[in-house]
Amino acid sequence: MSKGYAGKVLRINVSDGSYRTDPLDMNEARQYIGGRGFNAAKLYKEVLAGTDPLGPDNKLMVATGPLVGTMFPTASRFNVSARSPLTGIFGDTNAGGHFAPEMKFAGYDQIIVEGKAEKPSYISIREDVVEIRNADGIWGSTVFEADIGIKKQLKDQWTQTLICGPAAENGVMYAGLFANQVRAAARTGMGTVMASKNIKGIAVRGTGAIEVHDPDGFKELVLTLEGEIRNHEQFEGRRLMGTTRILMMADKGGFLPTRNYTQGTFEHASEVSGERLAAEYNVKGRGCFACTIPCSRIYSIREGQFKGVHGEGPEYESLGSFTSRLGNRDIELALTANDLCNQLGIDILSTVGAIGWAMELYEDGKLSKEETGGLELNWGNKEAIITLIHQISKREGFGDILADGAFKAAEKLGKGHDAVIAVKGMDLIMADPRGLKGFGLGYAVATRGGDHLRSEPFIELADDPSIGQEMFGAPGASMRRSDVGKGKLITYFEDWCAVIDALQPCKNIMQNMMILQFPRAAEALELATGIKLTEQEIMDVGSRITTVERMFGIREGIGRKDDTVPKRFTDTPLTEGGSSDTVMDIELMLDEYYTERGWSLETGHPTPAALRRLGLDHLAGDLA
Amino acid sequence: MKRIKVKAELCAGCRQCEMVCSFEHFNKFSPSLARITVHKEDRYGLDYPVACRQCNECPPIEACPEQALSRKDGLTWCSWQDCTGCGICEKVCTYDAIKVTDKALVCDQCGGDPQCVARCPTGTLEYAEMPPSTETPVEAFSRLKEEWGFE
Repeated sequence: MSKGYAGKVLRINVSDGSYRTDPLDMNEARQYIGGRGFNAAKLYKEVLAGTDPLGPDNKLMVATGPLVGTMFPTASRFNVSARSPLTGIFGDTNAGGHFAPEMKFAGYDQIIVEGKAEKPSYISIREDVVEIRNADGIWGSTVFEADIGIKKQLKDQWTQTLICGPAAENGVMYAGLFANQVRAAARTGMGTVMASKNIKGIAVRGTGAIEVHDPDGFKELVLTLEGEIRNHEQFEGRRLMGTTRILMMADKGGFLPTRNYTQGTFEHASEVSGERLAAEYNVKGRGCFACTIPCSRIYSIREGQFKGVHGEGPEYESLGSFTSRLGNRDIELALTANDLCNQLGIDILSTVGAIGWAMELYEDGKLSKEETGGLELNWGNKEAIITLIHQISKREGFGDILADGAFKAAEKLGKGHDAVIAVKGMDLIMADPRGLKGFGLGYAVATRGGDHLRSEPFIELADDPSIGQEMFGAPGASMRRSDVGKGKLITYFEDWCAVIDALQPCKNIMQNMMILQFPRAAEALELATGIKLTEQEIMDVGSRITTVERMFGIREGIGRKDDTVPKRFTDTPLTEGGSSDTVMDIELMLDEYYTERGWSLETGHPTPAALRRLGLDHLAGDLA
Repeated sequence: MKRIKVKAELCAGCRQCEMVCSFEHFNKFSPSLARITVHKEDRYGLDYPVACRQCNECPPIEACPEQALSRKDGLTWCSWQDCTGCGICEKVCTYDAIKVTDKALVCDQCGGDPQCVARCPTGTLEYAEMPPSTETPVEAFSRLKEEWGFE
């Protein structure tokens, strides 16, 4: 067996409680490396077009990578994939914490859950012993209570859990899965898929060991990377604020989504900033497994309306979502809502995507108080925000409509999609693409729907043409307001993100801080596993993962017509701030992107030649 | 004597100490092979690494039926030749600082340069002259919860 990997894939059928282990397919490992790659390869093969996302034939796949369960800095992450109930295409989400290394110590690189249990249950994996256990007393409880309850039932405080909350049980289409209570794998409704199988969570515990191919070389690389991270100019800011450091940066650049993307700056930004959070509410730092910059933070509210609230995070996306995005200047409301969403188990971006859409319509007089069930959805109405989070999670009142996501809610109420900030049904993050056009192209083409983590072309933030010139011979690639040069930018960054998601360290550190570029990634893979890939070959792994996920969507009917962004980003410029007076030329950007990928300009489908170059000839038959 | 000092308020719970310990002693990675273990309470974000504190009175030494445990160069030490892995030491240690995986694992301070201390990313661990600590993780967690206003 190759080193680095745990070496086995566990497949559990919860319909009858049967399970089996297969040795890891080392050919697949060379082609896809691990994590997101393993899920992409198997989901494409096993979950066929038109499979009901919430039916027993959908499969929930959890996979981690070959660097995880070692001391490789930040290697702690896993991906969960299935056909998404929110988007109908490739559903996929990634989180850190301590669940993934425990999977490896238990002997597994990937866990596949199939079928549907007869009654509410949870899965317990203790190395070779797999049980489907009765979830009496645990079903219906919050993420936090379920984590504690499962550990109590198993009489094992060292077990690691991956759990869905009551929102998933109630069929909210964007319910997530949570490791260590707060490490959210919450995008695209993977919690909803788990609950649809009558499964509340997976508990895993292992005592095995991971060995690496070249221990001395591995240690040397680890020490080098740890040093680079510690000496990085962003180290201190990330340690103190995590991603919340972005909020003031985004406001200054005029791309801080405010009042549902009708503005790019927030007049109260400094009141809800990462700096304020760190100074007034944080009590300690926290990190995922093997992290060199523990960038998560524990907060506590000690007085006032929200006294007694405490929790972990929030990240920038959550902090911005519950403040500028909803026109709310009270940082404590954001901290309270963050903790509430984690307890109930819902994705914050989709939750706020739905609430923000409703608030914009309400303020514009396009949604009435009768339609909201009496809620006054004015910007910054704190009580309404908290009420809606509860209503969404229970699918009660107006929340029942929002629980399908903004995109479907708009359809149901016949309101049109102009104020829906989503791509392919997936709600966007907190970065206005009018001021970050490469990010915008990334949203349009991302294989899981509107998303930045499939590419995250952070070099745009520097707004320095020399970077794009050097990397791509295209100065516009790294100029944030330029429409030109983005095809090369997004292709490169998508492939890079896919490789990181396959190896499974933290993208925030390894990619955004420029620590693990392709040659280094290949070196890490070889030292850990003995698998030797050239720089071109490891880039091809990234292309292959992206292409297979794209093909999963194409099989469900998507193409160029769906690779778009919300209308305001192409039609309506912002009027104030650092990203004003410009819109996206999405068609030009798509042409560049498809050309770079070797895909059809007309359909946005990979050509047979592009598939062949990646050894994916066998998928060509699925191109309509 | 020098001991491993823990500042629990700084610990981020990353468990790199466990990985480094396992690797430096066994050339592979496993919490089950680590002589240091991070105790946690996730709801409050609390973390506390536990390794042998080198107590002046050591109940495991007294309790070991094989006399496998003794003092060597001032440190509690297990002779693996004599250890049968019965687990009694694990049960009687006041601080859960001994782990039995096949044989009893006790912190050896890496011969005077503990690698967990050297590699801790947050400065939680320090190698310093000090009396043995008597605070358990549970006591430390109660103290911090009160200090930080958790209800």
